[in-house]
Amino acid sequence: MSAADDNDKGLGGDDAIAAEYVLGVLDAVERQTAAQRIDSDANFARLVDQWDVTLAPLNLGYQPVEPPASVKQAIDRRLFASTAQTGPQRSSLWHNLAFWRGLTFAAIAASVIAVAVPLLTPPPAPVETIRYVASLAPQQSDVHYFAVYDASQGEIGLSHVTGALAPGRDFELWVIEGNQPPQSLGVIPGGQKVLIPVSEELRRKIAAGAVFAISLEPQGGSTTGAPTGPVVAAGDLRDI
Amino acid sequence: MTAGCKWIGPPYGSTPMTPPDISKLIVRTSMKDRAAFDVLYRQTSAKLFGVCLRVLNDRADAEEALQEVYVKIWTKADRFAVSELSPISWLVAVARNHSIDRIRQRKRPMADIDEAVEIADPTPGPEALAVAGGERERIDFCLDELEADRAAAVRGAYIAGDSYAELAERYAVPLNTMRTWLRRSLLKLRECLER
Repeated sequence: MSAADDNDKGLGGDDAIAAEYVLGVLDAVERQTAAQRIDSDANFARLVDQWDVTLAPLNLGYQPVEPPASVKQAIDRRLFASTAQTGPQRSSLWHNLAFWRGLTFAAIAASVIAVAVPLLTPPPAPVETIRYVASLAPQQSDVHYFAVYDASQGEIGLSHVTGALAPGRDFELWVIEGNQPPQSLGVIPGGQKVLIPVSEELRRKIAAGAVFAISLEPQGGSTTGAPTGPVVAAGDLRDI
Repeated sequence: MTAGCKWIGPPYGSTPMTPPDISKLIVRTSMKDRAAFDVLYRQTSAKLFGVCLRVLNDRADAEEALQEVYVKIWTKADRFAVSELSPISWLVAVARNHSIDRIRQRKRPMADIDEAVEIADPTPGPEALAVAGGERERIDFCLDELEADRAAAVRGAYIAGDSYAELAERYAVPLNTMRTWLRRSLLKLRECLER
């Protein structure tokens, strides 16, 4: 290596630290500091993500090696120790599929119907009407929404269950289809029950299996076209 | 697969996994869907174990790290939604970061570092062939534009998780010089990739 070109300008500031974090050259303390900033500083987190994307093709240098079966058993013990003996039965409410189905249908009967009815009353509800429901369950938050999507009306009815919004912030609704980037359905208006119109283009994309997610954004919503804040609630659409 | 799982979708693993499937498995894992997590593990654990093994160079250590990586994936899967990474790259990033953090905690490098795992430059596997002509060639092309020893330092740092201190020692330069070299190399690399 020559020192002749060392006066050239290299990376600087947060961009350099993000690159060094992704490259893996920082020492233990510097890495810890960077990891904390990823959690607390959305701009820094985005720089790290961009460097991850830039250098990701190097991942092909890693050869797959089958791990021993004992590793998965140890993971299951660590995560699901209380349910390990019960096989497919899940004791935790959040892991219980029957609970989810029950909750979803109970919610339709009890509360979401109030959102769904105005969507359905004007036309005489044709037989081919396809409705989907999603429970947008809290993700490390207490934010919980129920969503009903009526394909024939092109509107999403949202019912706010729990979770207050901090001043100066907005919840933004996203739809994720497969591995496509999330697409915004807009900032969620305040209120217990709200309707969000869906553009013709997005209507074609929303089908059973799509995932709805709600992120916490600055007031007015994300300006980047992608979620910038943490995902506070998410759930996938199921037909009813 | 119990009847209660039907609404999740078609039976997992019945067809070869494609990236959209891994995306959905991560999102469902974030919703604490254990069946999805099990399939995600089956589909991705060999790749992530390869990452842990390559960085840590010790089998027992890598097995312990892999456990912690999947515990992290279970608890932090919601972060995937805000990342621009492909699903497998996001998982590799979790495994790499965890393994590098772990190796930094070690007081000294492993004594048998070269014996634990083959460090030979890997030959393209099925995965590499699958994306032949794409990103791999682009980044190889751009690394080739750097001076050979600097390209090797970038690769070594990324794949093996070498620290500035280790690289400075290997190339017998002051740590700050190594930092300057790598920062400039990364900038050139990015400029080349964006061309």
